[in-house]
Amino acid sequence: MRLAFWLYEGTALHGISRVTNSMKRVHTVYHAPQGDDYITATYSMLERTPDFPGLSISVVRGRDLAQGVSRLPGTLQQVDHHYHPDLTVIAPSCSTALLQEDLQQLTVHSGLPLEKTLVYALNPFRVSENEAADGLFTELVKRYAAPLEKTALPSVNLLGFTSLGFHLRANLTSLRRMLQTLGIAVNVVAPWGAGIEDLKKLPAAWLNIAPYREIGLTAAEYLAETFAMPAIYEAPIGVEPTLAWLRSVIEKLNKTGAERGVPPITLPKLSAFSLDGLSAPSGVPWFARTADMESFSNKRAFVFGDATHTVAIVKFLRDELGMKIIGAGTYMERHADWVRKELEGYLPGALIVTDRFQDVAKIIDDEMPDLVCGTQMERHSCRKLDVPCMVICPPTHIENHLLGYYPFFGFDGCDVIADRVYLSCKLGLEKHLIDFFGDAGLEYEENGVAASPEVDLSTGNMHIEPEVEVEQEAAAVTEDGEMKWSDDAETMLKKVPFFVRKKVRKNTDTFARSIGASIVTVDVFRKAKESLGG
Amino acid sequence: MMQVSGDVQIIKEDNVTHSFCGLACVGWMYQKIKDSFFLILGTHTCAHFLQNALGMMIFAKPRFGIALMEEGDLSKNEPTLEEIIREIKADHNPSVIFLLSSCTPEVMKVDFKGLAHHLSTPDVPVLFVPASGLVYNFTQAEDSVLHALVPFCPVAPAGQKSVVFLGSVNDATADDLRAEAEELGIHVAGFLPESRFDNMPAIGPDTVLAPIQPYLSRVAVKLERERGARVLHSLFPFGPDGSRVFWEDLAREFGITIDLRDREKAAWEKIRTQTDLLKDKKVFLTADTMMELPLARFLKSAGADVVECSSAYINKKFHARELEALAGIRVVEQPNFHRQLEDVKRIQPDLIVTSLMTANPFAGHGFVVKWSMEFMLMPIHSWSGVIPLANLFVSPLHRRSRLPAFDKEVWLEGVMPSAE
Repeated sequence: MRLAFWLYEGTALHGISRVTNSMKRVHTVYHAPQGDDYITATYSMLERTPDFPGLSISVVRGRDLAQGVSRLPGTLQQVDHHYHPDLTVIAPSCSTALLQEDLQQLTVHSGLPLEKTLVYALNPFRVSENEAADGLFTELVKRYAAPLEKTALPSVNLLGFTSLGFHLRANLTSLRRMLQTLGIAVNVVAPWGAGIEDLKKLPAAWLNIAPYREIGLTAAEYLAETFAMPAIYEAPIGVEPTLAWLRSVIEKLNKTGAERGVPPITLPKLSAFSLDGLSAPSGVPWFARTADMESFSNKRAFVFGDATHTVAIVKFLRDELGMKIIGAGTYMERHADWVRKELEGYLPGALIVTDRFQDVAKIIDDEMPDLVCGTQMERHSCRKLDVPCMVICPPTHIENHLLGYYPFFGFDGCDVIADRVYLSCKLGLEKHLIDFFGDAGLEYEENGVAASPEVDLSTGNMHIEPEVEVEQEAAAVTEDGEMKWSDDAETMLKKVPFFVRKKVRKNTDTFARSIGASIVTVDVFRKAKESLGG
Repeated sequence: MMQVSGDVQIIKEDNVTHSFCGLACVGWMYQKIKDSFFLILGTHTCAHFLQNALGMMIFAKPRFGIALMEEGDLSKNEPTLEEIIREIKADHNPSVIFLLSSCTPEVMKVDFKGLAHHLSTPDVPVLFVPASGLVYNFTQAEDSVLHALVPFCPVAPAGQKSVVFLGSVNDATADDLRAEAEELGIHVAGFLPESRFDNMPAIGPDTVLAPIQPYLSRVAVKLERERGARVLHSLFPFGPDGSRVFWEDLAREFGITIDLRDREKAAWEKIRTQTDLLKDKKVFLTADTMMELPLARFLKSAGADVVECSSAYINKKFHARELEALAGIRVVEQPNFHRQLEDVKRIQPDLIVTSLMTANPFAGHGFVVKWSMEFMLMPIHSWSGVIPLANLFVSPLHRRSRLPAFDKEVWLEGVMPSAE
């Protein structure tokens, strides 16, 4: 038992519904108490679904339990009658899982043909969102994928694209654009937009592309084993990884092509991949070499997220933008070993593996990085500290569900990520001027930043945010944690550029405490500057 | 007076619907009672619900949290919360901790009363609040919170007759209601809840309890029984009609006769442009927040054609006057959402008041929608709430009429691949 305020991964039910909500004519029935279908709101509001997500609840009430009544068979009949799904997935929630009911038996009682139902009863206390989603998707692939003649021309399946995935649509578009440039057909995208018939067609493709470590990988491995389908598991995030990915796609398809007597695919001139077909496919390699970006060599970045994006973004920041990585971590404990292996040589210390956002917030507070790449939780933690932050992976916020084309994958994605890094960080030359001359007339921004209200439109609308509490919190910290400052020391602190002022105050406090000072005077401040090199 | 008139038929269905469980009340209750902490003994599901569906973001350390039950906790007889309570006290120094139940510990038959009693200290009581989705819907757990607060309301001695308003509203609304009552010559003893735990109102045999939210029937009955207080059975103070009846009935309890017909008329006059627009508009209320009955009654009075008013829970005694006023309107308790979808398709309402889960999909089907939850977060009480209340209904109608024509074949293409 522990006190939790906020968690990174969602529940098993959420994972299950992410898969079924992605699919055509597949419905999920939650065998659960009132309210457990709150998940529906995450789709209808974050994805702004213009139709009803295929999710229904078969309500379990206390009275039903007392009377030994189950409404499940009746609900299944209703769902079948109203929506005619090809498949209904039946899943318990955490509380009903404890009842140890025979859901299969109850499903049989509904009279629905068994081939149109799937009881997916995981242990919700052991399995979380991503594992459940990956597991259900694999289960569906196993159930439906059938031996099939390969397509005449090179084709691929794109696996693991799932409802509420990070920048999902744009990533798909980016991959489709690159594949189109190479003349490669997309056989099936799954689970996003796929129906049962599409799953049956999976083995017709020449190659599986499963770029997400979290969802789709297990299904691709199954297809590799059972249907001898080659697969690519790397995520094309960053210029070099995208080039490697393209070469790998070509090489694997050409191998099959050679066996089938199909002429080989060749990598065209890279400008063919650009949006206008006439230019460099990405601005990043040149951007990174510009004098402006020189200042990024000293920028210290911290990355925390799921497995796929943590690995990709650390590599991108260091290898392609030449930034310093001061630490990285993941909340995906299941994939921690893979992340650790991938990031060997990239991190100054051990990989952080935790699902407690407070631990991550503490590291950010201690390190005060120049850039944090994280989830929406890190965005919140950073806003409090006035540390630049960009969101790189789920869990997301409505702000990460924008209308425009912002892929992270492929050449197009490189430019998007680099732009975000650039806009998030304090700028280069401007920063030099401020460092040198102090406030540079930007003093007003301090208040501007502090006063900017946090408008939370995430999914729900109880967005009366506890902003006041933050202030109370800050005041409390001043009482117990921070040192007192003399007036002239405060005046001197004001001469420090506003965006590093908090950090300087904190370091000076620590220094003052270490020398046993009870108040920060001008003298203590000067000594601190000397000692800390600021 | 409290008889439900014979022609009000309540159709009862099977509750296959989309709404939240009682834990939702944490969203507003923790902000209302400022020296409290809301601790949910629950699972990953409860945490995920609060952080996602309610969109409650955490900045620092919020005054609510989940005592997270993990697999290892399932085999234990009773949960041990001492450590967590200590942590909460150290970080927040609350005056009271509300211990909310959820489905999993209820299935495990955790003895919540015993647990709360065991964790309570004279300084910081720990109060059990039943809230699980096995029994409670959305706003109903506010009833449970108020229930738990009853022992902390001092007993008012017999003597001065005064009113206690029942239900959490924001401070501005509370000030309005208090001023209005005082102007009528009614002594106000306070609100249940007040915004501080140590300031709960005194309630006794000469207290009139005036419910200002329609989902608090249990605490009303409890106070009636335990303190001999009188519960005002009137309309809820929403809209010109509700406000007039509410204040007239309340005044009558105090032996004051007032005639607020002119005031009601003036209030209707103020929202004439809104009611002109609402007139004969077909409005469908799917069940969600349990504010549906008074909202439907206001719409009916405003001239709208309420084609269905559904609510998760209807109490024939507590809601008697609202039900009477709804005579002739189709009222459904615990509706079936699939049936509602078919009816909506057939009836083609002009406006649908519905949950966060279902609003966008209805809009995608071409309907004009309003989030039911917004009515809980807007100052719509009494006379000062008349305009905001009317505006909430007309604003989506206005908005739709201002937007250009919409060809869904074009603009919804590919928006939801699973639906094609």
